Amino acid sequence: MRFYLIPLAAAAIPLVANPYTQFMVNLMLVYILVAVGFNLVLGNLGQLAFANTALFGIGAYTAAMLMAHAGWPFWLVILPAGLAGAAAGFLASVTALRGIRVYYLAIVTLAFGELLRWSYIHGERATGGTDGLAVPRADFFGIALDSETARFYVFLLIVTVLVKAVSNLLRSRIGRAIVAIRDNELATASLAIPTGRYIVLAFALSGFVVGIAGSLFAVLIGRVIPESFGLIELILHFAMVLVGGLGSLFGSVLGAVVLTALPEFFRRFPGMYEMFFGALLIVFLLAQPRGLAALAARWWPQLRDRYYRDR
Amino acid sequence: MFALQLALSGLAQGAIYALVALSMCVVYRATTIVNFGHGDLVMAGAFVVYLLAVLAGLPFLAAATLAVVLLFILGLLIEIGLIERIKAGPHIGFALMCIAFGYLLRGIARAVWGREVLPMPSVFNFPPVFLGELVITADALVIFAAVGLLLAAFFAVFYRSSAGRVMQALCQSERGAALVGINVRAFHGVMWGVGAALGAVGGVLLAPITLLHPGLGASFLIKGFAAMTLGGFGSFGGAVLGGLILGVAEQLVGGYVSTKLIDITAYLVIILVLALRPNGLFGRAIAEKV
Repeated sequence: MRFYLIPLAAAAIPLVANPYTQFMVNLMLVYILVAVGFNLVLGNLGQLAFANTALFGIGAYTAAMLMAHAGWPFWLVILPAGLAGAAAGFLASVTALRGIRVYYLAIVTLAFGELLRWSYIHGERATGGTDGLAVPRADFFGIALDSETARFYVFLLIVTVLVKAVSNLLRSRIGRAIVAIRDNELATASLAIPTGRYIVLAFALSGFVVGIAGSLFAVLIGRVIPESFGLIELILHFAMVLVGGLGSLFGSVLGAVVLTALPEFFRRFPGMYEMFFGALLIVFLLAQPRGLAALAARWWPQLRDRYYRDR
Repeated sequence: MFALQLALSGLAQGAIYALVALSMCVVYRATTIVNFGHGDLVMAGAFVVYLLAVLAGLPFLAAATLAVVLLFILGLLIEIGLIERIKAGPHIGFALMCIAFGYLLRGIARAVWGREVLPMPSVFNFPPVFLGELVITADALVIFAAVGLLLAAFFAVFYRSSAGRVMQALCQSERGAALVGINVRAFHGVMWGVGAALGAVGGVLLAPITLLHPGLGASFLIKGFAAMTLGGFGSFGGAVLGGLILGVAEQLVGGYVSTKLIDITAYLVIILVLALRPNGLFGRAIAEKV
């Protein structure tokens, strides 16, 4: 039950927020899903992957295209966006079944992600090309999502459900198998766990969560453009997971909350953004490789990562 | 004739890919780290040469030499300052560190340059060579000569000299090499330097024939990976051949199918090769360390 105290407390935010801060809080909710989904692959599976922005993008484009071209309401496109993300995650990692691992798999996801981004730019008729696609007004079972506050409560509900689901998943047979593969794939395979299939499954689950994040992002921003899902975005995703703490669910939430607002500060200075996040990653890798979650766990031992043991 | 001309300009482009792939291979073989920031080192090489040649007014050859030396030092410093320090952590940390310094370099380049794209004035002003109807541009000639010389020197050192034997020993077994008194730590640093310097030569050759922008590194990272994958991951000769094949393939695809597809040829090569023939054209089976 303690888990639900956080969203319950968060529900009071609109009482004190102005529209701009409310928008940033909504963006934080989107990035919480992004980081939690990415962490499944990067932290729990321990597999380097570059396709996360592409999965984010495919969720956003699926939602935007279904809403703009087919006229579906927002609540109906959330699941398809997640499924499209899952399908993309599956495709990005399906070579794992043929024994492609570690660096090779990372490189495949890099190529796959760039390929998807290329198709956003060149699939003009469906995606609007570089100009992007405007997202129609969203409604959630008849409630018009035209204020930041309305979006906030819908987003909060979706994020709470999904984060709880991921938390349960990690404690299930599937989650333990995924973490076991990170720690020692050979030993895991010797327990008759089909490691290749679990790797693909982890990618698909991660794609599902990140795809749904994409659909929320599309509605929040109101326009999807290919540039939102490029390399600039990727470093933000990496930073959220790493700064929060690789493999820690709480850490990913924390990383998203802490870092979401930062890119705003660097918009006016070219290069500052990449320098800052590059340097931030270096500092954390050198000084605090287990992220803010490990730091917080010193004072609050309940938060410690139960799946990680310092070697 | 059209196909031959395309293949020729593809070879010139491919020679640069070959160099980039080879330089990534050097770091990979020597340290088992795949450098995901390598493209940005190539970009840095191109930018430093631009800075020195155009803004500081040095003659091109001097600027190029200085750029390569500077990048050697940068590679060495990255190994000593960043990679060596996280050795105790999980392997994924190395990859994240490479990504991080890659972004840092890109940010620095963007901060210095702002948002413009920089054309570098042509450096090699001698006339093109005609072979029948084929035209070999001055830039292509310089690339062929420079890459050819460099590859010959690299392979001669690696396979023939005693220093090369030390390198081979280290690539095979670090512990064994340490036992016979080879300094493994120094070797790692030097090989990072060599990798960065070789990549920088690619950047230096690239600078006069392309528009420079800080995002250059990302595309070269993928081309390098495609060449390495095609030739068999970790094989020096394979990386070179893979680069040449990729360069020619890009031009043929662009000339006969659509120029839009030039950008994604490398991605398709990676996905196809790893899906159909994971060991590449010349590679040995992927051996996993247990």
